[in-house]
Amino acid sequence: MSLVASIDQVLIRPARRAPPAGTCARRGSRPVSDVEQRLKALMLLSLAGDATAETSLLGALATALRRYFARRLGDGAGEVEDLVQETLIAVHTKRHTYDVRAPLTPWVYAIARYRLADHFRRGRTRRETPLDEVGELVDAGDFDAAEARRDLARMLESLPEKQRRLVMDVKIEGRSIEETSRKTGLSASAVKVGVHRAVNALAKRFRDANG
Amino acid sequence: MRTDDLIAELAGGGRRPGPSVPWLMALTVVAALAGSFLVMVLGPWGLRPDLHQAMRTGPFWMKAGYTLAFAVAGGLLVERLGRPGGKGRGGWAVLGLALAVIAALAAADLASTPMAGWHADIMGRSARICAFSITVISAPAFAACFWLLRRMAPTRPMLAGLAAGLLASGLGATVYGFFCQETGAAFTAIWYTSAMLIWPALGALLGWRLLRW
Repeated sequence: MSLVASIDQVLIRPARRAPPAGTCARRGSRPVSDVEQRLKALMLLSLAGDATAETSLLGALATALRRYFARRLGDGAGEVEDLVQETLIAVHTKRHTYDVRAPLTPWVYAIARYRLADHFRRGRTRRETPLDEVGELVDAGDFDAAEARRDLARMLESLPEKQRRLVMDVKIEGRSIEETSRKTGLSASAVKVGVHRAVNALAKRFRDANG
Repeated sequence: MRTDDLIAELAGGGRRPGPSVPWLMALTVVAALAGSFLVMVLGPWGLRPDLHQAMRTGPFWMKAGYTLAFAVAGGLLVERLGRPGGKGRGGWAVLGLALAVIAALAAADLASTPMAGWHADIMGRSARICAFSITVISAPAFAACFWLLRRMAPTRPMLAGLAAGLLASGLGATVYGFFCQETGAAFTAIWYTSAMLIWPALGALLGWRLLRW
């Protein structure tokens, strides 16, 4: 079995499921899966600052996560890749919450499930927008650009100073990640993650403000 | 952005992982105790004048033990529920045990008191201010515990908020024990317990809104 295929199995059916009927698995004597062991080893290395190990880990997880989300949202759903990326970012930024005494795959699985639940929650809010309200929005043809700019400025003001500057640089003034990184002294990934978070925060705020 | 590029950015960023959970928790507990203590001594409470003698008596430590058990339960729960997929069975067990013990002590106390004395036993001299004081004194502790959870990654935000409330109330009520002169188990069981459930309830509501990530 290839590494990716078996990771997929581990992720989709997390370690704590009941053993299949007919097997005589005694409690506590369940063998730790090979994949779990290899992924955990990579995680421990990346926690110690090994970038190569983290690249391998995130790469392997990306493939497994893609299948995990595709199976739940349907193949080719545009959101699958977004969810994969959101989950990878969470695995990276929240890696200090991984308890090294516990297996890794249930932890990743919990993050993936959380991202998926969050996705459905957001989706539901959108779907619940009544149709007649949508009509009103479309009819309000005098929704002018100045107003949009003012709203944008107000939204941006609600961000923390650091994130706001990142969004201004990257998304509004169109600077490249490298330029912004040089300008702010942050690493390129810190800039990317910062922008990603800020945009998420803005999107959330926008959704909240719109019901 | 392509996923491969994202991975390269994330892994190659050279950023250290966030501070370890035990370290964050230690920091939180110290900040929480300091904050609550400051509110108590700078507010209208202060320390009880007979603190030295009181610390040599059983009831003082009975109360402190009970409130600390709440903090321990909350701490265990925060430590588990703050991590993706965490459940925290141990914390619930400690909480259940603490409630069972204080209920038994209170029942024993009342059983050995004639019924005419029950009212005095239960109401003590400070029943009116107890819940309010503990809630106010626990407020900075709650802020610290909530901040801790924001740094972690709770996948059950409501329960995590509740756990933060338990930890904060346990710490705040322990601090309040240095002011409060009540000695009865029945008083503690009723007033301390209800006071210590206010932040968990608020925490669950706040967590539901604010602990998402």
